[in-house]
Amino acid sequence: MGRTDQSGWTAGYDLPVYPFVPPPELAGVRGRYPIVIAGGGLAGLTLGCDLALRGVDCVLLDEDDTVGVRGAASRGIVYAQKTLEVFARLGTYERVLEKGITWSEGKTLAGHDIVYSFNLQLATPSVQPPFINLQQFYVEWFLVDRIRALGHCDLRWRNKVVAVTQSARSVTATVETPAGTYSLEADWLVDATGVNSPIRGGFGLDPHTSSIADRWCITDVRFKERFPTERWTWVEAPFNENRAVWQHLMGDEVWRLDYQMAPDCDPEHVSRREVAEARLRAHLGDTEFELVWVGPYAYRDHLLDEFSHGRVFFLGDAAHVVSPFGARGGNSGVHDADNLGWKLALVARRHAPERLLDTYHAERHAAAKENLRVTSRTNRFLAPQSAAERTLRSAALALAREYPFARPLVNTGRMSIANPYPDSPAVTAAGWSVPNVPITLPDGSRADLVTLARSVGTAFLGILYAPTRGHEIAEFARLEAIGLPFRFFVCGRGGVGDPEGKLKAALKAEPDSFALIRPDLYLGALVPNATAAQAEGALRKALCLDEALEL
Amino acid sequence: MRTDPNIPDPDAFYAALVDAHDGLSEAQSAELNARLVFLLANQIGEHQILIDCVDAARKLATRS
Repeated sequence: MGRTDQSGWTAGYDLPVYPFVPPPELAGVRGRYPIVIAGGGLAGLTLGCDLALRGVDCVLLDEDDTVGVRGAASRGIVYAQKTLEVFARLGTYERVLEKGITWSEGKTLAGHDIVYSFNLQLATPSVQPPFINLQQFYVEWFLVDRIRALGHCDLRWRNKVVAVTQSARSVTATVETPAGTYSLEADWLVDATGVNSPIRGGFGLDPHTSSIADRWCITDVRFKERFPTERWTWVEAPFNENRAVWQHLMGDEVWRLDYQMAPDCDPEHVSRREVAEARLRAHLGDTEFELVWVGPYAYRDHLLDEFSHGRVFFLGDAAHVVSPFGARGGNSGVHDADNLGWKLALVARRHAPERLLDTYHAERHAAAKENLRVTSRTNRFLAPQSAAERTLRSAALALAREYPFARPLVNTGRMSIANPYPDSPAVTAAGWSVPNVPITLPDGSRADLVTLARSVGTAFLGILYAPTRGHEIAEFARLEAIGLPFRFFVCGRGGVGDPEGKLKAALKAEPDSFALIRPDLYLGALVPNATAAQAEGALRKALCLDEALEL
Repeated sequence: MRTDPNIPDPDAFYAALVDAHDGLSEAQSAELNARLVFLLANQIGEHQILIDCVDAARKLATRS
């Protein structure tokens, strides 16, 4: 079953439609669930899939009955390495890889000159590439399919959360459906309802929305001609009144072109077919093309002060919105889910105290703040606010054409990274994401870090790197038996192998270092010349356990 | 940020700077100055010194 695009574009996509199934609450069952997720966008679906993979029961409520919004708009299209590693862990990566466009090279132009370029493939130790471009609805679609295969996550379509209240012990959501309104209770509710979250609004929380809106026109288009699969960005495009333009290839041979518009433009006018076609001809000359989707896009930054409110957590756009430059929007929503999922799983199973959940705000708010800082600087470069700012940019561009030193000043987006959490209260001298490096398993088979993590469920991976003091290994191994979610591996000595030395580099490990890798593949602790007692201390800290506290 | 005299032959440097602006419009002069700032900043190459210089220059703008 498929659906044509509501906006009238001949999209050429056949999006799935999911049936509404009357929930048990409407038949009188009193619903109480460990975790309820409101919103089935990128962040909500990633969390639902993460919990499903961990075997934690949850309910996911989505007001729509398909993936994507506004028809077949491509929306978030650049998926960065950490996100791809998360998808590898969740089991959707292969489909994203197959459908998407893998790329690593970017070029920035001003007028007709290339003023900056990068190739991120050269530096990466991960099994996953730096970037894959793909229409957001495909990414969501693959997550839905995966969730349905995994079970545990009850996907409820056309279930709209209209009110949320909470007590010290539970959250109650009121939900509207085509068959009537019902309520359900949860231990925790995750708000992933997006930029205009009614849940956030219902609690009277101010996300501090910025006053300036940046306006763009998105054009998804197919060409007869082939262009290189690089990210091209124009700071000053002569064919767009010297404003910025983005050019990327996505899945199904569809190109995504983003044109920066004048701040006072009429969004309806700039999206009209004949206006879009004229803009395309000015851009690419006399080439054959087919418009797939055209629509205006405007955003205002926001950042919520607290990413949790009692038993409610805010995820993705509900918590933070940044400029799209550098792909730090959708990717950071996935990273939010990656951060919260294992914590909810451990707490729901009583394997960690509720305090562990506080680290979600500590870590992800810091990440969002950093993303806002980085993207605001890009925004300032791309949309100068005064004559002086225009002069500075023009000088930087002129120098960049001539001299290599000025090229790093040209800022068309600093690409999404896995933000480190150095100041997290649960981290010991570490806090960076460990890339999905190739390793060998104790049986000698080739694998990678994600595979190893998946094989232990929701547990920390303790790795004693190249131990020189054999008699102490047994003391580390004993930490598996003290009732904490922990699995121990030796690297070297017939344990896990690091044939290319990439694990060593990723962990910054020396012989006898103990590395504590969290279920989100962040390094929770790095202890040089470690003892088993130090390893246990780091594990307890990573779980927010006091020495004295018994679970 | 050093504030003791360190520019060799200050009169010649000043003259060269003034000459560089000869015949330029106000906008062209502003761009020349901006290019010069970036070129000189790259010669210095130390973040804290650059920020101290920006602050020192800004302080005089708000004082007058």
